[in-house]
Amino acid sequence: MSIGVRRGSGPVVWASIIGSTCVLLFLLQKILWLVIPFLLGLILYHLLFPVITALMYRGMHRADASALVMAVLAIMLLAFLALLLPWATEHLIDWQASLVRYLQGGLSLLDRSWRALEQSWSVLARAHLADKLGIRLSELSDHAEQYLEPVVSGVATWAPSMLLAPFITFFILRDGGRFKRMLGAAVPNAFFERTLYLLHEVDCTTRAYFVGLIKLTLLDTATLAAGLWWMGMPAPLALGLVCAILAWLPYVGSLLGGILVVLVAATDFPQLPDMAYGAVALFVAVRMLDDFVYMPLTIGKSLRIHPLVTVTMIFVGGAVAGISGLMLVLPLLGVVMVVGDTIGRIVTDGRLLARYRHGRALREKRAKADLLV
Amino acid sequence: MRLPQLKPLPDRLLRLQALSLFATLDARELRIVDGLLHERQYQQDEVIFDEGEDGQAIYFVFAGKVTICRQGQPESGRIAELGPGSFFGELALLDNSPRAAQARAATACSLGVFFRMDFQELLETNALTASKLSLQLARHLGARLRDSVHGARAEQHL
Repeated sequence: MSIGVRRGSGPVVWASIIGSTCVLLFLLQKILWLVIPFLLGLILYHLLFPVITALMYRGMHRADASALVMAVLAIMLLAFLALLLPWATEHLIDWQASLVRYLQGGLSLLDRSWRALEQSWSVLARAHLADKLGIRLSELSDHAEQYLEPVVSGVATWAPSMLLAPFITFFILRDGGRFKRMLGAAVPNAFFERTLYLLHEVDCTTRAYFVGLIKLTLLDTATLAAGLWWMGMPAPLALGLVCAILAWLPYVGSLLGGILVVLVAATDFPQLPDMAYGAVALFVAVRMLDDFVYMPLTIGKSLRIHPLVTVTMIFVGGAVAGISGLMLVLPLLGVVMVVGDTIGRIVTDGRLLARYRHGRALREKRAKADLLV
Repeated sequence: MRLPQLKPLPDRLLRLQALSLFATLDARELRIVDGLLHERQYQQDEVIFDEGEDGQAIYFVFAGKVTICRQGQPESGRIAELGPGSFFGELALLDNSPRAAQARAATACSLGVFFRMDFQELLETNALTASKLSLQLARHLGARLRDSVHGARAEQHL
């Protein structure tokens, strides 16, 4: 059964799928502190599960294999942090200076571009937009602390919940099979095979989404890094990777990535404004490549959702739950489609419902066999 | 020199080893199978699956009896009656075809259920286990073919 081309999924099922996705998005944004670590935990789970399977086939218990893999991961992470922290502390002041420098570089590019436009367009020159923009940006930068404060407090609130991610990964790795069996055991016999298939499809959908996302990130990183390297930009691989990770947020993330690249180009090559415009062109080209080639080859192919539905639901997700909605809508839609489709099939299958009622009647009959007068 | 004492298999694994399909698996492989198997209880006369249904699982009889019959004809259309240790539903897994007959619980019974994707994954990820299971399946199908040719028993026609 394909999860994309839904034989028998009528308008009622589709309306239910879209409605349920919107309701879930609305509810999930209320517990985002749990949803984000859970998503990260799921990504880690899908990355580590093949290792667990390999260890299990070498005779290790699932629980021991999960503990071993997570312990090795924790040791690697701690070693990495131990190496990184002294270096990061040493360069903290440099980073602060760099941040200010890059922001100023970006502002200066913006100012130069507006003034160039004003020289060419008398309408713009009469409106003195460059001066007004300069005053507005100067006000913004003077009161930067009032914008930074909520960001810093937000990061401080979110950081502890991120520690949940490895715990969630560990428990899914260790008890995932048990949970599946427990869920299966709660289902009546008549629906049991369908439920097994449903759980399998949900697992496949989430795995396909996250594996697709990782492939997309690698492709984006490679393409951007190659383009930036060709243009002669500094640290092309790091910039490409940051932009590719930011692109996990549909549209907003891409915009942030583009701004980042332009800031770097404008600051490191102040005498070459063409570098900044070239960076914009490169970014637009990569986004087009991403939307029309990479995305359909990775995430789109794995979820098998029609492109029109994908784009529409991204906008709906953004409208219902903001940035979190943009990020969550596709994996959520994939899972709700599988669940909705299966439930739709079950409730319209008269034979399965009849078998369920028959089984229940047999159990009732047996339960009260010695109670009959 | 003392030989290492072999640990006896737990009851759950012994029960699995009593099933013909898993008879040649070692303790490690049985433990993997045990982690993938679901256990279901059926009442007498309850339908396990229908003829023509998509086959998503293979079933093992732990206790009780199961009738394999033509759809809706448990008496007149009976093909076989299976007892503890036997399994059914494997053809649908092998050739992806719909169920060829109906399965009903002849008595209250306890069945092990192996989901087709778990079964296929097991075959695909471990060559040794796959070869053991494939050989047992081939033996099972060979025995059925022999019975069919000689007409001695019409057993397990699923």
